[in-house]
Amino acid sequence: MRIRLLSIPVSNQEEALNFYTKKLGFVKKLDIPVGEGNRWLTVVANEEQDGPELLLEPSPKDFEPARVYQKELYKSGLPYTQFSVESVQGEYDRLVELGVEFSLKPTVMGTAKIAVFDDTCGNYIQIVEML
Amino acid sequence: MTSSKMKLYNKEVERIKKDNYSNQWQIDTVIGLRKYIQEHFEDELNLSLFSRISFVSKYHLLRLFKRYYGQTPKQYLIDMRIEKSKEYISQGMSVTEACYAVGFESIGSFSTLFKKKTGSAPTEFQKRAIFKK
Repeated sequence: MRIRLLSIPVSNQEEALNFYTKKLGFVKKLDIPVGEGNRWLTVVANEEQDGPELLLEPSPKDFEPARVYQKELYKSGLPYTQFSVESVQGEYDRLVELGVEFSLKPTVMGTAKIAVFDDTCGNYIQIVEML
Repeated sequence: MTSSKMKLYNKEVERIKKDNYSNQWQIDTVIGLRKYIQEHFEDELNLSLFSRISFVSKYHLLRLFKRYYGQTPKQYLIDMRIEKSKEYISQGMSVTEACYAVGFESIGSFSTLFKKKTGSAPTEFQKRAIFKK
């Protein structure tokens, strides 16, 4: 068994695709229409295009419990997903320049440095650098 | 942001920092050791050496590293060497050259660990790397 795909709920798939590719630097992998305006839409890391895919999942639009769950996570500032980066400070500076808002500035937590930003699609995302 | 307006997660981060990461000396010791492994992964490394350079007893150091990083220094060293060997093979180095360049002493143990960690033998990985080019 392998980890091939992970999902992230997004309020708007097109906006999410823009954010995840143009700001975060991921690359679109699959884009398949699945009816009612929804898409099987995945992105991958630019440096690891054969690695695990991230599904930009439209569930909050069509499934009320998913919408409630996402909303409550967001209200608490809890990051649903985290990505690994070489330098948290470097990514923080780059993303702030692109207008991305952070709820947690670069913070050292023991042997890791973390920061949390708003993906504008209903989620907080954490970036992590191991020290 | 004042504490009352702070989001739940940000408060939790502050709490975890205080409860779990207040011993800066221990943290500096394990961060220093991890950096040492990153910079000297191709050398002959062992716990006795780590203990000497960190001024901490071997078993205490082992426990500290595992506590903060979730794996032993040796496990981390193996992961590091396998990652580097993948990089070297992808750049065109032969399997044998990559094996010794990252600090393994025998092709047998390198191949076994490589397969265990990546799911494929180094030669299969090399074929795929060539195909990708």
